[in-house]
Amino acid sequence: MLKDKHLTVTVSPHIKTALTTEKMMWIVSCALVPAAGAGIYFFGFHAALVITVCVVSSLLTEFLCTLLMKKPATIKDGSAFLTGLLLALCLPPELPLWMCALGGFFSIAVTKFAFGGLGYNIFNPALAGRAFLMGAFAKEMTTWKTLQVFPDGITAATPLNLLKEQGYDSLMKVFDSHSHLFRELFIGRVGGSIGETSAGLLIIGGLILLFARIITWHIPVSYIFTVMVISYFTGGVFGIPFHLFSGGLVLGAFFMATDPVTSPITPKGQIIFGIGCGILTMLIRIRGGYPEGVCYAILLMNSVTPLIERYSKTKIFGVKR
Amino acid sequence: MEREEKSNTGYLKELTKGFIRENPIFVLCLGLCPTLAVSNLVENAFGMGIAFFFVLLCSNITISLVQKLIPDEVRIPCFIVIIASFVTVASLLMQWFIPDVYARMSLYINLIVVNCIILGRAEAFASKNNVFRSMLDAIGMGIGFTAGLFIISAIREVTGFGTFLGFRLIPENIKPITIMILAPGAFFTIGFLMALFNLIRIKKGKVSK
Amino acid sequence: MTLGQIIALFMGSVFVQNFIFSRFLGLCPYVGVSKDTPSAMGMGFAVVFVMTTASAVTWILYRYILIPFDLTYLKIVAFILVIASFVQFVEMFLKKTFPALHRSLGIYLPLITTNCAVLGVAFLNITQFESESYGFAKSTLQGFFAGIGFMLAMLIMSGIREKLEYAEIPESMKGLAIVFVTAGLISIAFLGFSGFKL
Repeated sequence: MLKDKHLTVTVSPHIKTALTTEKMMWIVSCALVPAAGAGIYFFGFHAALVITVCVVSSLLTEFLCTLLMKKPATIKDGSAFLTGLLLALCLPPELPLWMCALGGFFSIAVTKFAFGGLGYNIFNPALAGRAFLMGAFAKEMTTWKTLQVFPDGITAATPLNLLKEQGYDSLMKVFDSHSHLFRELFIGRVGGSIGETSAGLLIIGGLILLFARIITWHIPVSYIFTVMVISYFTGGVFGIPFHLFSGGLVLGAFFMATDPVTSPITPKGQIIFGIGCGILTMLIRIRGGYPEGVCYAILLMNSVTPLIERYSKTKIFGVKR
Repeated sequence: MEREEKSNTGYLKELTKGFIRENPIFVLCLGLCPTLAVSNLVENAFGMGIAFFFVLLCSNITISLVQKLIPDEVRIPCFIVIIASFVTVASLLMQWFIPDVYARMSLYINLIVVNCIILGRAEAFASKNNVFRSMLDAIGMGIGFTAGLFIISAIREVTGFGTFLGFRLIPENIKPITIMILAPGAFFTIGFLMALFNLIRIKKGKVSK
Repeated sequence: MTLGQIIALFMGSVFVQNFIFSRFLGLCPYVGVSKDTPSAMGMGFAVVFVMTTASAVTWILYRYILIPFDLTYLKIVAFILVIASFVQFVEMFLKKTFPALHRSLGIYLPLITTNCAVLGVAFLNITQFESESYGFAKSTLQGFFAGIGFMLAMLIMSGIREKLEYAEIPESMKGLAIVFVTAGLISIAFLGFSGFKL
């Protein structure tokens, strides 16, 4: 290892501002606090336990990995804390705690440290952890806490689930009017993962990130715009606010897809990335086996990020290739 | 496949090299398709292991017997035909004796024919060595392959189903990690087992230095 | 054959049951040739080409020769011989007529003979479409789409592996171990397509 700081060249993203990784991670975590608070408020004490266990297991795994690999301790940079928090926010509120711990371990150890630690991971650790838990415990991962009164024995839990399994009519039976449904979705008083339901608070968090210049507009805007266009053509005017505010779209678009390590660097690449996420999300929501596709869509686009970067390189003018 | 066996080591070494030092799965990294595809249950892994063992042993013996008769230019097609015939025999035998196991994995049994280990051993070893050595080589490689398959499938069945050969090891109320018997589980298991092999090799290298 | 059936075949062979991430076919060339994007692309094109044509050829062979003469038990020997000689023939043909293409694909063609994806799709075709109408068209399309799925998997992995060149991967994970862990993560992402229906 080179000791001279000026000669050490590391892989991108290179930090050009005064914004350190540590500061960035903590700002993102703070931006998530309102949504997490709402989750605990709506879903109860067990949601708080899920968040705590995910964060603790992520931090512990980070600590053990740096210890075993004899790397400098990175536990204080906040990345593991953020991963644990994000993972918890996309888990159902009543998931057994040992599963949460396993998810945190998987996120940090397999998706991050097997690839060399922060900055080298190919996939977003929190989402990979969630997808792992989804594959591992399909039943527990789709057991939601019901918040609405369900007439006629309708038991599906999240609005997206309801739409997929029982159709539009039963959705209307539960929420009697569009405006009521959209209001509940915006506030977050619907079944779903801990931190994904409150679209309003998440948008506030996302705006904080935008104004703090932690993320740029390219990915969230292209992602959400694509989803809006497709939902208009498949579900009409009603579809736009429904698909926008339900499921993990806002959380995914602002907090997960924008992860600087696993998304493209160039603006052009970011827009391609966002559009791809939008198309895949809607493809899975409408035609896929799962009611929600945000997690898989972002993971799939993570996997093609190197290819997007390769083909969206900024051209150097005056140089023939 | 390009691995050449020229060392005149003892017969015992010929037999044991396939166990760890040149383990076909973890070290040579050959024949991975069936390894991953049928390793979700220990029972399947055994079925595959036996079929594989049979084909490898028979083809190695046959090829070392007829090596002098085959012109060098057409040796690969000849090897393939010999191997394919034994795969057909194995597949017909399995269909007869263990029809339910066969039904689950007939595709991968048929695909033993293009398994790189078998063609690799034929090309690199059996076509250059005598019958006895080729037989030992086949037995060693067969055991190495079956053992590797057994380890992977045991890990996947215990974690993914909570059972071992159908017997329940982990109580019902602890949920098994279903993803281990799905495709990703296979990749993770072999990936981390390879890492373990590497780790052992690195440790050994340090000690001998 | 309707457009819906074609789309279903496409989604099925490229995404839902991708040959690499779900069926585990063709892993040896997958881990062997996915180190950089150009060669992954070359191998991908060669596989698409051979899988499409081999599917067509083996289906005809099975339907019009092996079944009428009651020789279906010889399918393993027959298929492998046909594929091996076919690959040989393609190589000779390319060398004579498209030398430029041969130069870029040439080194991958001999490897394809032992690519289990090619033989695998031939076996899958005859079990799935043996008695169906449009069997020939379906087999050929399945071969083509499976090849596309293989190429997609190759390209994704090659992109990631090029990026991993710069990563500080732990000593014990280097080499194929990290490739398999990556493949596992990609196949988790591909689980998102499961249950896809039109």
